[in-house]
Amino acid sequence: MFLPERYEFYCPVKINSGNRALDHLPFELDTLNAKKPFVITGKNSVERGLVDIIIDAFKDSGLTIGIFDGTPSSPDLKLIRELFHTYRDRGYDAIIALGGGPVTDTAKVLNIAVSGEPEDLEQCAGDGLIKKPLKPFFFIPTLSGSGYETSRYAFFEGRAYASRFLMPDIAVIDPRMTVAEDAKTTAVISLAALTHAAEAYVSTGRSPLTDSYAYPAIQFVMENLLNVIKNPQDKKGGLALANAHCLAGCAFSNIEAGIAHKLGKVIGDAGHIPHGICMGILLPHVLETQLSEDNYHISDLLLPLAGFDKYAETGADLRGERAIGILYNFQRDLFAAGGGAIARTLRDAEVPKEILQDLAKKAFGYGSGCVDMEGYLKILEQAWEGR
Amino acid sequence: MDLPGYYEFCCRVKIIAGHDALEKIPDALANLRAGRPMIVTDKGVSGAGLINIVADAIKGGITIGAIADDVPPDSDLRVVNRLARVYREKGCDSLIAVGGGSVIDTAKGINIVVSEQADDLMKFSGGHVLKRALKPLIAIPTTAGTGSEVTLAAVIKDHEKHLKMLFVSYFLLPDVSIVDSRMTLTLPPAITAATGMDALSHAVEAYTGLEKNPLSDAHALAAINLIGENLVEATKNPQDKEGRLAMASAATLAGIAFSNSMVGMVHTLGHSIGSVCGVPHGVGMAILLPYGLEYNTHKISRVLAELLLPLAGAEVYARTPKDQRAENVIALIRRMNQELHEVTGGRHPRYFKEVVDRDGVQMVPKEKLPDVAKTALSDGTVFYNPEDLDYDDFLMVLEAAWEGKPLDKKRIKKG
Repeated sequence: MFLPERYEFYCPVKINSGNRALDHLPFELDTLNAKKPFVITGKNSVERGLVDIIIDAFKDSGLTIGIFDGTPSSPDLKLIRELFHTYRDRGYDAIIALGGGPVTDTAKVLNIAVSGEPEDLEQCAGDGLIKKPLKPFFFIPTLSGSGYETSRYAFFEGRAYASRFLMPDIAVIDPRMTVAEDAKTTAVISLAALTHAAEAYVSTGRSPLTDSYAYPAIQFVMENLLNVIKNPQDKKGGLALANAHCLAGCAFSNIEAGIAHKLGKVIGDAGHIPHGICMGILLPHVLETQLSEDNYHISDLLLPLAGFDKYAETGADLRGERAIGILYNFQRDLFAAGGGAIARTLRDAEVPKEILQDLAKKAFGYGSGCVDMEGYLKILEQAWEGR
Repeated sequence: MDLPGYYEFCCRVKIIAGHDALEKIPDALANLRAGRPMIVTDKGVSGAGLINIVADAIKGGITIGAIADDVPPDSDLRVVNRLARVYREKGCDSLIAVGGGSVIDTAKGINIVVSEQADDLMKFSGGHVLKRALKPLIAIPTTAGTGSEVTLAAVIKDHEKHLKMLFVSYFLLPDVSIVDSRMTLTLPPAITAATGMDALSHAVEAYTGLEKNPLSDAHALAAINLIGENLVEATKNPQDKEGRLAMASAATLAGIAFSNSMVGMVHTLGHSIGSVCGVPHGVGMAILLPYGLEYNTHKISRVLAELLLPLAGAEVYARTPKDQRAENVIALIRRMNQELHEVTGGRHPRYFKEVVDRDGVQMVPKEKLPDVAKTALSDGTVFYNPEDLDYDDFLMVLEAAWEGKPLDKKRIKKG
């Protein structure tokens, strides 16, 4: 087994997953000495009836909760200031993010503010600039979001925050909250999880501990995403995907971002397709490039991708190729199952071919150390064309 | 991958591992806003020169507030209170526990006293009574076995009141665990063997137990893989740093796995034979592991069969017929015990009749086995075993494990 000469790993996120997990929320709050949580969510969760389930979980607890259900898709600092005052004035002592993406980013940034002062938001932008633990912070996944929710990252109004203190204390994964909305939303979050986990497996920051989070994340996506897309009511599948979502974010926080992640971000930021879908398109192409450069970790990916039997029966020198082949097939199957909504190629996703050069330049600008601009361009061209 | 109806998993311990991981302690303490630690350890650890290694590695970065190297094997409340006074007198702001379970538990007890200004530790015993972070605690395991560097419990005895206080809280998890190959380089072969098998028993019981979950599974698989590839070699070549780091990593991974699932009858009987006959924990685990798996086989064969892959590798797994994999895992574990027996010159016992103390006196007289079986009935872990056991079942397993004979399959319950 791969064991680096030195490694570090940190994941403060407690996972509570399964039937009626939300009902333990009052107890979990108590273990962190919190009694009055402030729930941050968006209209979508109200419409789906998810907020009622949370209210129900607190019904007999004797605790008071506050709910803000108006998180917009592009929240701003004005909102944080308002929420800051609400939090202080009403005496809240913990934050619960219900749902991913902007909801979680808002909750994380609000937590920086209420744990200190709103002015901290400027000083704390960057990596490692938050110096002490924040207020208790819970995350409740709803099978939508960016894939960063359990990670050490928050993105807000053009600022990036990175700190271990931004990782949730607890992720409460309840099957009542993780029923799929639509194929694309589910795919965005699941492919983000798959890519983050797979890139953790092949990254220089890899250790048995990153493997331990990435392995179940990859398996859950491979075993459940197609089923959930075909049958959004598949409760067990939804729960498994939400697990993958949370675990991949934890692994991702312990590695350097990989190439598929970075290129995906460049394309996503250019406004063409969601980051998760981009990463899903790019992943096998990136791995193929890395395999040709003798990245020996890729053959280990076959185990979570294909399971014990297929891994063992495949000769060691063929495992890498087979892993990549499985990912290409997965793209094809997802495209079919989603009725074309889940793009297999950048062409499917209607990314104009003439901007690839620009995208490669931008990705190179972020720096990665191991790929030059031509390398990026080659990956993008392959991902545009498809295999 | 199996996803249980409900599970919880939590390991908030930062793991820092490597051949020079100790050198990261000053930074780790600074991140925790501390810089004047009290080192807590026992005579065995300091006598082996390990505290010198730790002190050398960190003294450039920080001031050591105090070194207490006299935690007795049977530590208790009096020790905790005495060392808490030292902590305060010397103006310490954090704790570094270097050693095994007893040392780490003592440090946890000290931490409750100094963080909560507790004059009565009893007030904090029980589950999740602590409500806030304690002083920074760094754990440095020295045995590659117990996994106590990643557990959230502590047991402190009160010898005067004849009490055993149990503390369970996420705030008792060490903030950081340092896994450094130098801490186990001088372990004698027989202890390397026993502690390694202890770690294997944690991982295997976690993977085959009733409370398994995706994260405990993944940590267990990694641990088993590292042990399968390294334990016999590390026992043969004690100076091999890579093997030592692999085994120390495996022990931590196995500790994370079993403290987030549960363990079964191997631990039930291991605890009991430890308390009745004084058999060291790791030795008991090593002997009992194949018997526990044999007893439970009909309940766990699917997941047990999977373990052939991490334990023996892809080739062996692929060429072993599916329906023979589970029994092959058991056979392989027996073979590991046999090999360890050989490479330690017979010091690693395979059966209970072979367990001797320092003076060569047999530690488990056969007539004590009924006592052990009786004690086992009241051990909490029995509820998490896949198959039920009563007194006769325990005794049957103990007798077989004493003699070194496989279990009589006809006598195993099929509940």
